[in-house]
Amino acid sequence: MNYLTWRLHRNQVVFAAAALVALAALLLVTGTRMAHDYSAALSTCAATRSCGDLSDELFQGDGLVLDFVTAVSIGGPLLLGIFWGAPLIAKEIDEGTHRLVWAQSITRRRWMAAKVGWVLAAAVAWGASMTALVTWWHSPENALYGRLGSGHFDIQGVVPIAYGLFAVALGIVIGTWTGRVMAAAAGVLGGFAAVRALVLLYVRPHYLAPLTARLSLGRAALPGNPWVLSKTLVNAAGHPETVTSTFGYVPAVCHSAVFKGPSALSSCLQAQGYRWLVSYQPASRFWEFQAIEGAIFVILAAALVLLALWRIERADA
Amino acid sequence: MSRAAQPETAPAVEAVGLGKHYGHSWGLQDCSVQVPKGAISALLGPNGSGKTTLLRMVAGFATASAGSVRVLGRAPAQSEEFLASVGYLAQEMPLYRRLNVAEHLELGRRLNRRWDDGAARGRLTALRVPFDRPVATLSGGQRAQVALALAVAKTPDVLLLDEPVAALDPLARAEFLASLAAAAAGTGLTVLLSSHLLRDVEQVCDHVVLLASSRVQLCATTEALVSCHKVLLGPRRGPSGCERSFDVVRATHTERQSRLLVRSPGPALGPSWEVFEADLEEIVLAYMGQGRDGGAIAAGPLSLLSTTGGAR
Repeated sequence: MNYLTWRLHRNQVVFAAAALVALAALLLVTGTRMAHDYSAALSTCAATRSCGDLSDELFQGDGLVLDFVTAVSIGGPLLLGIFWGAPLIAKEIDEGTHRLVWAQSITRRRWMAAKVGWVLAAAVAWGASMTALVTWWHSPENALYGRLGSGHFDIQGVVPIAYGLFAVALGIVIGTWTGRVMAAAAGVLGGFAAVRALVLLYVRPHYLAPLTARLSLGRAALPGNPWVLSKTLVNAAGHPETVTSTFGYVPAVCHSAVFKGPSALSSCLQAQGYRWLVSYQPASRFWEFQAIEGAIFVILAAALVLLALWRIERADA
Repeated sequence: MSRAAQPETAPAVEAVGLGKHYGHSWGLQDCSVQVPKGAISALLGPNGSGKTTLLRMVAGFATASAGSVRVLGRAPAQSEEFLASVGYLAQEMPLYRRLNVAEHLELGRRLNRRWDDGAARGRLTALRVPFDRPVATLSGGQRAQVALALAVAKTPDVLLLDEPVAALDPLARAEFLASLAAAAAGTGLTVLLSSHLLRDVEQVCDHVVLLASSRVQLCATTEALVSCHKVLLGPRRGPSGCERSFDVVRATHTERQSRLLVRSPGPALGPSWEVFEADLEEIVLAYMGQGRDGGAIAAGPLSLLSTTGGAR
């Protein structure tokens, strides 16, 4: 089966390898320059004690390449699902060649094991190469913005590998069920995006119980670039204020400050004991979150692969 | 060809009450059939009669909804022993379009423990099939030969071919059947090949299984079929009278004469009847037509004809 798998899919491997080489070249060139700019800026700002403003100044000219790398990193697993996962079984069923292979002296389980095993191994290899490069490339950005926020968390560490496995498994299982490449590709497109969005919006914030902090109403921010989940105004008693009308919650003492501008209002409220109640995930939880989210997608992928195998072993051909 | 099998040998393929339904309709119903070992059997029936369904269930490509089937005593299963013993060539002759013949032989060699590479190469070389061109560029006849070579090189005990010659022109058809006969000769290979036309496969078959209306109508050696059917020509009578006297498979009447295809006419034939040999084509066509009419014959399924012993 290894021979046949390689013979059928070698073009895809060559194409993916070429794309990886091109991306690696881009990342190495731009990454080296960004790392250099960053360390130069650090030594400059350390002299003038203005390092807090670095994030406003650095890499502003690199928006295009930053967006591109982020898009490729987020879209990469999707492309694996569409170009590797979807056709893996669907193309055989579509063209009837599964009847040729199943008529050989090889069980369907061994056939699936070889095909699925190799494509998943290739997805891991691709994902690991990509994420290793991007993680390194992204380190100046991490230092500036943290890496727990969406758009940063999703393109480095181990989760891109898990996303890739999930997308490929999704393509395999839909392809197994429908026997049609286009249906499987469309299914990957919709299913992958939906699951990723659901996890990002509704599951990821709850991996670990968030921490809370009370912040003064001034410019103060939490140190260490945490992932801020919510920010609520609370009064001196610690109860959140519900805004019933414009400035409806503002105590009588501060009514006059309302007309003197936002900074006057906030210093008056501050004096009355009002604070921001911030719920957040500290940046130090990066690897715990990576492990949890990675495990979720790997388990989903494994379940989908088993589902596909179950189907193949029972399908009429 | 010689009588296919002795009564004491177990059949190569034995189906009992085999059925398969797709949704609410039956693709094959109540099929009981025995295919003798070491013979080339034709599975005949009109389109939609369940030939493909039967072959797929025998090959283990589809699961039965009712009844059971055994191939050389084994139920179809996803095991290497079963898969190695059964060869199956689907109707569309699946091949990887972009792979060439050499690569197909290579995949066959790697995916089968028993593999006769020399024979496959020899046969395809003799047929001048190019080994280095993608199979998509070969002619239909060449592709069929490649598919057959793969199925035979696997050296199965039972080879199932689903309408292998339906898409071939007469020359390619003759070449294909010659290859098949040559491959089966002297090897003890059991072949069951389906066709909707007896004429297509008559030259290589020594046993006939006839499916119509998703049921087995007939199952016998070609010799037995010919010897136990007769054509009777005689004065026109009421159909009821005829059918009481003989087992009439098909009756055609003109104003004066009745032409009856009958099974096992007894000695009690009146002197007014002339008796002729029936030819295989006519017998098979008669049974096919019967199945289409919903089995008008009084005798019902032809259990009278045993597969192994001919007429009893």
